[in-house]
Amino acid sequence: MTVKAAVNGIVVLSGECPSEDAEPLHRYLLADPVPTVDWRTCETLHAAVFQVLLVARPHMVGPPGDDFLRRLAGHLPR
Amino acid sequence: MNEFLEQFVIECREQVEQATADLLALEKSPLNIERLDSAFRAFHSLKGGAGIVDFDAMAEAVHGAEDGLSYARKGTVAISTTLIGDCLACLDQVIQWVDEIARCGDLPKDASKEAAAIVARFSRGDGMGPGADPRPEVEQPVGWVATILAKHPDAAREAQCALRYTPSADCFFSQEDPLARIARLPGLLTIDVSPVHPWPQLCDLDPFQCNLVLVVLSSASETEIHKALADILDRCHIEALEATVRRPASSLSLDARSLLEAQLTLLESTDGDDFAGKVASAGAVAANVFLAQCDNGLAISIEKATAQSLAEGQTAPIARAIEAILFEEAAKPGAPLPFGTEHETTARALRIDARRVDSLVDLTTELTVAKNAIGHVVALAQNGDEGLEQLLKQRFAVLDRLIGELQQGVLALRVLPLRHVFQRFPRLLREIAAGLDKSVNLVTEGSETEADKAIVEMLFEPLLHVVRNAIDHGIEDKAARLALGKPAVATLGLRGYREGENVVVEITDDGQGINVERVRQVAIDRGVVTAEALAAMSEAQVTTLIFEPGFSTAQSVTGLSGRGVGMDVVRTKVVRMGGTVGIESRPGAGTAVRFTLPFSVMLTRIMVVSAAGQKFGIPLDAVVETLRVGPDAIARVGAAQAIVLRNQTVPVIDLREALNLHEGDRRRDAILVVANVDGVSSALRVDVIGERFDAMLKPLEGLLSGTPGLAGSTLLGDGSVLLILDLTELCR
Repeated sequence: MTVKAAVNGIVVLSGECPSEDAEPLHRYLLADPVPTVDWRTCETLHAAVFQVLLVARPHMVGPPGDDFLRRLAGHLPR
Repeated sequence: MNEFLEQFVIECREQVEQATADLLALEKSPLNIERLDSAFRAFHSLKGGAGIVDFDAMAEAVHGAEDGLSYARKGTVAISTTLIGDCLACLDQVIQWVDEIARCGDLPKDASKEAAAIVARFSRGDGMGPGADPRPEVEQPVGWVATILAKHPDAAREAQCALRYTPSADCFFSQEDPLARIARLPGLLTIDVSPVHPWPQLCDLDPFQCNLVLVVLSSASETEIHKALADILDRCHIEALEATVRRPASSLSLDARSLLEAQLTLLESTDGDDFAGKVASAGAVAANVFLAQCDNGLAISIEKATAQSLAEGQTAPIARAIEAILFEEAAKPGAPLPFGTEHETTARALRIDARRVDSLVDLTTELTVAKNAIGHVVALAQNGDEGLEQLLKQRFAVLDRLIGELQQGVLALRVLPLRHVFQRFPRLLREIAAGLDKSVNLVTEGSETEADKAIVEMLFEPLLHVVRNAIDHGIEDKAARLALGKPAVATLGLRGYREGENVVVEITDDGQGINVERVRQVAIDRGVVTAEALAAMSEAQVTTLIFEPGFSTAQSVTGLSGRGVGMDVVRTKVVRMGGTVGIESRPGAGTAVRFTLPFSVMLTRIMVVSAAGQKFGIPLDAVVETLRVGPDAIARVGAAQAIVLRNQTVPVIDLREALNLHEGDRRRDAILVVANVDGVSSALRVDVIGERFDAMLKPLEGLLSGTPGLAGSTLLGDGSVLLILDLTELCR
């Protein structure tokens, strides 16, 4: 699994996040009233996962490792 | 392109063909109501088809022409040459659009303007009724383009193309990842993401329903973007940002660039003797580069520059043309194609008789039975049974027969009637004859004669060349014809028929025939033959000299024929198809040019030879004998070499030298392959003679097409590509 909740409550996206990650991410973000997502080691993000981030608007810890993802970062809160 | 569009493209072409034939017939006999109705129906179907697939501009243009024809049906307007011409212009436009749709799945951006121009033709205020209303030009509001450009001013300067991609809501289930798709786009500058419908609360969000609109600026060309998104074009809006720079040089692929640069280097090293060869070769390669990139405009400008270079005896024009394209100086849209010179690069769909497919299905059943029978033999072999040889022989015979049938069946799938090429000529003739102020009546015969698809499609260019020549040089002008007691309207015949395993296509005219004296004179003047050789020739032989390279009797270069290429092109093309050209001329009474072509692209027996470690194929039918001679047997004659073979001097062509290969040592004895090319023996010196086998020759395509010296390619048993040498070219 490329999405997991660390002990400190921060959700970490790492490596290549496929569409299957959208559901667990959705669950984590629903459970946390002030969610934080660390995507510094994330390489690719499926559109389904990105869509969850767009709606949840968690605090993002970045920047991500990939060029294309950095272009997308503008759509998310820092 | 999806199936729906493919079908649309096929039907459009058919309707256009139908309508063109009807209109031309109507022009000759304006009272032919059936033809008028048929043309009207064709336009009507075109309009309906365009409406269904949402090509509004096309529907609008065709609607204009349909209106024009409907007034003609009601008798409100007369069927005039102008009306027919306008309808034909509309069809021309439709075909251009259809080509574009076949290439990238959509109408070009400026289609609505072109459509308005067509509609305007039918509303020149000559009382045509409602169709005469000038239609206001509707510019689609393209707000999203303006928004993204304003949002990213830096990227906007570099951007050539804006894209809006709205994936379907359930696209995640079909393995589509819109973000990954955009990430892979060439020349990506910026990406904007927004929801299609307002976002729901997080708790109501269905993560697997896609609700995204992706707007992108890219520095890649519209064509590249089209290519990258070919399978989802129906969900994309692509806007080219600079309509004036249609195909800048940056769209050249790396391969294309390096090929063009290599041609420049070749041209720089050109001097003296090999000038014509090098210029022609560089021109052909450069033109091929553009043809392979579907840029006919640039290819034609290169061809023109090549002709100019050859005429002036300087490399400058062609070198300048290539440089200009390489360094973006001339990245302007190509000149419009001269009528009838389009190159057929797009593969067209083939309609096949269902019975032919059924017989192939039956054959597969039989092949399965044959396979099972071999399985049985394998089982017997495992049991150590004796006497398998006989059984295997039987099975082999069955397989041999079935595979033979399969081959024939598949070749039959590729068969097309000559009609496909013949039917383009009535229209062409109308243009050509009008341009020369000559009246020509076209008579076609045997247009249902069938030949292989490849042959039918390649036939157009040589045929066009002969037809142009016949009208331009063969047929006299009206006054001269009347003075000779001939009818003012000349007759041009196009006839196809089967002759054994061959298909013969004949082009006849009732013009002045070929002036043999003049041919003799020109042949001497231009050094095509020596005076002695000429003296020994019969009249028929002299006539065939017009097919020699460097021969062109056109005293003035007209826009039609005499564009720097002569009838030798015709012969080259026909020979490349595996055929021969013959000509008969009766002074004062006319000329007949005859193409004798193979019925299908048949199996050719190939002999493999090698030189400097490289393998090449030679068509075995040209080979007379092979022999090994001592080094002394080959004598130097000036710069060339020759051997004496049964009291006859035979020139020796060293394959290594001819192909500029110099690697490795060679044995002292010379291995020679004696070939008979056009009745003349030549010996080819090779290093090794290898296997012989049957091969289906594929003509060279893409960048390699038209490469001098190569007739085609085939695959060897180990999967490597074997290039087949064109002996005619090598032995010239």
